[in-house]
Amino acid sequence: MMPALRYEWRRLISIRSTWIISALYLALVGVVGLIPVFLNSTETPVQSWEGLFSTPGNVLNAMILSVIAAQTFGHEYRYGVIRLTLSEFPVRENILLAKTLILSTYVIAMTFLAWAVLGVGALIAGSEKVNSDASGYTISSSDNSTQMWQVLVFGIGYCIFAMSITMLSRNLALGVTLPLLLATILEPLIGGLLGMISESVEPVRKYLPFSSAQAWVVNADDWPQAGLVFAAWVVGIYFLATFFFIKRDA
Amino acid sequence: MRVEVNNVDKHFRKLHAVNDLSFTVEPGRVTGFLGPNGSGKSTTMRLMLGLDNGTGETLFDGLPLAKYKSVTGVVGAHLDAKFFHPKRSARGHLRMLGAEANISKARIDEVIQLVGLSDVARKRPGGFSLGMGQRLGLAGAILAQPKVLMLDEPANGLDPQSIHWLRDFLKHYASLGNTVLVSSHLLGEMQLLADDVVVIARGTLVAAESMQAFLSRANSKSVFVRSNDVVRLASVLSMNGFRVEIEGENAIKVIDATPERVGEIAFQSGVQLSELFAEAANLETVFMDLTASGMDYEIGTPIAGHDSAVIRSGESL
Repeated sequence: MMPALRYEWRRLISIRSTWIISALYLALVGVVGLIPVFLNSTETPVQSWEGLFSTPGNVLNAMILSVIAAQTFGHEYRYGVIRLTLSEFPVRENILLAKTLILSTYVIAMTFLAWAVLGVGALIAGSEKVNSDASGYTISSSDNSTQMWQVLVFGIGYCIFAMSITMLSRNLALGVTLPLLLATILEPLIGGLLGMISESVEPVRKYLPFSSAQAWVVNADDWPQAGLVFAAWVVGIYFLATFFFIKRDA
Repeated sequence: MRVEVNNVDKHFRKLHAVNDLSFTVEPGRVTGFLGPNGSGKSTTMRLMLGLDNGTGETLFDGLPLAKYKSVTGVVGAHLDAKFFHPKRSARGHLRMLGAEANISKARIDEVIQLVGLSDVARKRPGGFSLGMGQRLGLAGAILAQPKVLMLDEPANGLDPQSIHWLRDFLKHYASLGNTVLVSSHLLGEMQLLADDVVVIARGTLVAAESMQAFLSRANSKSVFVRSNDVVRLASVLSMNGFRVEIEGENAIKVIDATPERVGEIAFQSGVQLSELFAEAANLETVFMDLTASGMDYEIGTPIAGHDSAVIRSGESL
């Protein structure tokens, strides 16, 4: 397993776009999360610690990380490097597992870095500008850790979903755009249409991947199984992609 | 390391790309892998490496590749001159390929120098010429000094000096006891390089033997003759049932003849000869003869007096 991990790590860090996208991600998370803090007044702060630390769970931010996820296979198929990779790793499950582990580790690292940026930024702005009372959250609250855990899992799930789409389609652009379109346009549209058609079919929207993911991250009361629905979608598409990755010609 | 290809077979929908192919590639020798365009050479190589799914098996010293703990020391493959990320530096590309076997930076620099890419090692290969891409591909294949080297058309795009270098390198690599399998369209080059040949057409095995045995299959043996009285000699030879072709000023080629017989006829006719030798069997001629019926693509060419004509390899105009 170690050789495959070394190979994938070297692949990830040896292209400049990895570093550019990582910097872009941190900058975007910082801007999106800290602008409300800097604009807040100390008397009536609007941004809460909860809101601040859930910023990496924003679909737009997750989309930036999904570019790295899509590149995991997208670049290899686009430039034929997959044939070199698979000639070094004839047992395809090994390299797939290595890619999944490195991607997950990367997402975890980037999310922690994003929180560090947000935390340091908020302290620079003045912690009194973040609303600690409104929701009961503080920077060290145990409730915060639940929120952060959910944001972390959402980021990993979103990226594995994007990677799986790229594996299936062998198309980098589709791997980035399809999850984004689903999350921001298609699923809200489907949800709206279902609501218009009939109240009896409206609950179907609760089984859509990104609608359930967002409900899970914000702990929606009427949607207790939201996390499981999202996980089922991610696992399902990942196993489908794995099956075809092993069966298809390189 | 001996490579055994056993009953390898591959279909692409209705196309039977590789048809129950079996052959052996021996260590210490360079084996040329020949066949017309679309004959299935690249597909066979991909099947051997497990990149394509098909039936049959390829054994490396009796074991399939998947059974080896580390594959890079077993087989190094160069399948295409453009298999690299255009924005990852040449050195970065090789470091990635070498990560599996923990190849040292010193070895990477050594290989870069060996293939002549030192000046561009830190440059992005997106702007590389075909020849430079071939060098980078070869560097990746030899990085871990594998016991088996598989190269698909490695001489495409190389200049004559580089082809000469490649030939010497591969011969040397095989002389160390390694196994080298090279596919190429450059038949003249293959005749100089390969010890053995594997020839396929339409995915079917045509020949798998030593180069010498393959060349001895030549159907027609010709004799080159030069004389100041070449017109009379040609006439006498024709009367003796030989087919004669003009080969420039004062020279003819006598088809299906031996130097002894041509010399005898010339002596009996009183024609003085200034040059007489048997033309060596040519890989291209034998290849064309054997694969003529296995061509996937016919070639159209304009001929004087006709709008166009279709020729098949091995046929004369």
